[in-house]
Amino acid sequence: MTAPGDADVAADGPAARRLRTAVWVVLIVVAVAALAYALRPAGSRTDAERVRDLAAEIRCPDCESLSALDSQTGSARAIRRDLRQRVADGESDADIRRTYADRYGDSVLLKPASDGLGLLVWGLPVLLVVVAGAGLVVAFRRWRRTPTLQATDADTAIVEQARARRAEP
Amino acid sequence: MRHRTRWIAAAVGVVVLAVVVVLATQIGSDPRADAKTSQLAGKPLPEFTVRTLDGTTITSDDLLGRSTIVNFWNTWCVPCVQEAPALARFGAAHAADDSVLLLAVVRDDTRRAVEKWVASRDPAWTVALDPGGQAALAFGTRGQPETFAVSPDGVIVAYQFGPATQADLETMLRAAGGP
Repeated sequence: MTAPGDADVAADGPAARRLRTAVWVVLIVVAVAALAYALRPAGSRTDAERVRDLAAEIRCPDCESLSALDSQTGSARAIRRDLRQRVADGESDADIRRTYADRYGDSVLLKPASDGLGLLVWGLPVLLVVVAGAGLVVAFRRWRRTPTLQATDADTAIVEQARARRAEP
Repeated sequence: MRHRTRWIAAAVGVVVLAVVVVLATQIGSDPRADAKTSQLAGKPLPEFTVRTLDGTTITSDDLLGRSTIVNFWNTWCVPCVQEAPALARFGAAHAADDSVLLLAVVRDDTRRAVEKWVASRDPAWTVALDPGGQAALAFGTRGQPETFAVSPDGVIVAYQFGPATQADLETMLRAAGGP
């Protein structure tokens, strides 16, 4: 029977290490690219794109669940006109959101706020991902430490003897 | 290893418990409760401009110095039509008082429909159009009828969502410093 850890040595060869390094590099590149995309500066958007994005975030006041972008009511049209004017006047997205929240209440914003209970909405999925990732790391480490047993010639001989005994009448 | 697993399990348990407690405290609370109240109560009158049917411009500055009732309505709105008799009685009761203004702003309707309605009813109050809906937006209206009381110093002191009775209007007027 091989000693515990022998299999680890075999699985930890140069090829396996290179593969592992490559996997980590790909993961880091994907994570950095996703972060860069998510945090790209708002200044790269055109005014029309900002108006569209803001209208998609603001609830149509006289609709149940439509945004000002999707609704065709008079209020939604007025909001889109107002957003165009505010963006043209140079107001920031945060200021515009604040103005609407001050006028209609926080419920006019379709995206939850990033404080109070809204923090839970944003933070819980991140927390779950972190906890799940940590769990996977622990599980993978355990699996790696579990020795892979390989039958020696002596083990095979014992099994053959046992089979022979069973086969005897 | 066994202790570490226990710590991880305990940490996850604490997080789950905290989430359950937070969510449990939210049961029964309406996340859109602020949609049933005006956020402008107690705040200064927003800037706006409306235009009467004869072309006269009325701005927020024109309301200063008077106790004003601002009513948002439409001709096609059934609750607004039901409210109209109360507005008529209230308007008639204060028609001779220059310190009181009843301003009915059309929220989302055609000029033709409003002209026809005014011609048939001859209302004893000021009717104004809100092209582009900017005044309705400035007041944060969510529908019609909605009524706001404005004090002479330009503060929104009372509001009502839905049809108002004459008694409601008189109460709001008194809150706005009127007779």
